[in-house]
Amino acid sequence: MSNLLKRLMARHGAFLAVIAALLAGFEYLICAIVATVNVRGMLEELIKNLPPFARTLVEQQFFGGLGPAGILAFGWNHPITLALGTAVAIVLATRAVAGEIETGAVELVLSQPISRLRYFVAQVLFALLALSALIAVGACGTLLGQLVYGIHVLGAGTLFSIGLNYLLLQSAWFGITLVISVFGREAGRVAATGFVLALVSYVLQVIAQLWTKATPLHRYSVFGYYSPLDIVTRHHVPAKSAAVLLCLIIVAIALSAWRFLRRDIP
Amino acid sequence: MHSLIVENLAKAYGSVQALRGVSFAVDPGEVFGYLGPNGAGKTTTLRIILGLVRADGGDVRLFDVAAPDSRSRVDVGYLPGELHLYENLTGGALLEYFAGFRPGRPPVLRQQLLDALDVEPSALTRRIKFLSHGTKQKLGLTTAMQHDPALLLLDEPTTGLDPLVQRAFRSLVLERSRNGRTVFFSSHVLSEVESICGRVAILRRGELVAVESIESLRSKMVRRLRVRFRGTAPEDLVRLPGVTRSQLTGSEVSLWIRGDVNPVLRRIAQAEVEHFVFPEPELEDIFLTYYQASK
Repeated sequence: MSNLLKRLMARHGAFLAVIAALLAGFEYLICAIVATVNVRGMLEELIKNLPPFARTLVEQQFFGGLGPAGILAFGWNHPITLALGTAVAIVLATRAVAGEIETGAVELVLSQPISRLRYFVAQVLFALLALSALIAVGACGTLLGQLVYGIHVLGAGTLFSIGLNYLLLQSAWFGITLVISVFGREAGRVAATGFVLALVSYVLQVIAQLWTKATPLHRYSVFGYYSPLDIVTRHHVPAKSAAVLLCLIIVAIALSAWRFLRRDIP
Repeated sequence: MHSLIVENLAKAYGSVQALRGVSFAVDPGEVFGYLGPNGAGKTTTLRIILGLVRADGGDVRLFDVAAPDSRSRVDVGYLPGELHLYENLTGGALLEYFAGFRPGRPPVLRQQLLDALDVEPSALTRRIKFLSHGTKQKLGLTTAMQHDPALLLLDEPTTGLDPLVQRAFRSLVLERSRNGRTVFFSSHVLSEVESICGRVAILRRGELVAVESIESLRSKMVRRLRVRFRGTAPEDLVRLPGVTRSQLTGSEVSLWIRGDVNPVLRRIAQAEVEHFVFPEPELEDIFLTYYQASK
């Protein structure tokens, strides 16, 4: 197992380091913006000119009433933040099975005295560790930014809860893509399907927020179960969101394992 | 105890029956050839043996352990027919990585193999994507053999190797066999199998045509010989023992000979030969031999 984990680290290390640096840099930048720009004044001016539905969206959904905590939380719900984490989840799941089959190296690896289950567990374990590390580095960006700019609005506990919700969200995307990956042979096709699903899910979430009549669609989007703003007000991950994402992760990983243990290689 | 037992193996890919009731056993120390044309089911058999592909029916046991169990592969080395390595690893890192799957089995043969296969030291420090096909194949062979496995499964192992390295490889295989190691050698090249294997299984369209010793195979093999004489061809040539078929056109004669070719060669030597062709037997000729025998 350690042999596989070391190899996965060597293979994905640079990619993960770049994404983690981008995430931490972005969260740090949000802190810098909160501290140095009168975001509240700017946005209030902007909001005055928005139609009522958009005003509600921007105020309530994105900026939590425009407080500094709301803006920092928005930094964790920004499309860039979501895209970085989702990219990692999809890439790791794609490479775990379909990518290895496409390169052909998996034939030699699985002919070694290692069970398929062990190989699969190593891939899942590595992805969960990698996503956790990514979030930890991103959270460091927020903490460092708050420290440097003297804004202490998101405590470690709240940030931990946001990170946990983010981890559940991205693990769910890992699981969903893994299901596609264990059925596939071509990495490009698997990754493209994963990204399209994530995009559709995100668009669905935005529509549900913007259009009152479409609000029920919210529950059909994976992103609908990730809400840093709720965590800022409640200081913990909403139980329903955590349960849904956890179930999704368990079902997706169990289905992937079932298929992977039975499929022909390559 | 057999090193490898394959019993009644069957596998279909959709409507294509890749293997139909294939059975054979390989003994310790044996170099066993698995001969068949491309698409006959050789690679599928190997993949089932290694648990990569699920059989629809039948059993495989490696050292008395059922094949899908990963423990059955501890003392096995494998070289795939289509070798794909991690292109971004260096040759040295690749060998280390695969050695890492067997913590209790150090790569005792690594240096000996690298020397015998003439692997440049730079191949161990350069990324695999920058290496030639032949060097990658040599690294694949080293990966398969470095831990001195009791059973070596090789799928078309000499592909991409130059003749000198092929010879070195054959010596290595024979040496492993002398040391009691079993070698399962899949190939579509008859002469290659003939040169190192003691026994051979012949596969065609997923069915085992025969499992024979090389001597027995040679005695049954029908080989074609073509001679052009200076002057008329000796008429008694076609009546010599072993000649199963002949074709005479003027001074040129084609003969199909089963078993010992010496009586025919001796007779030919008594005449004035202008042109003489005695090609390597084709796999199809072998299959024909067995089909004719079964009719």
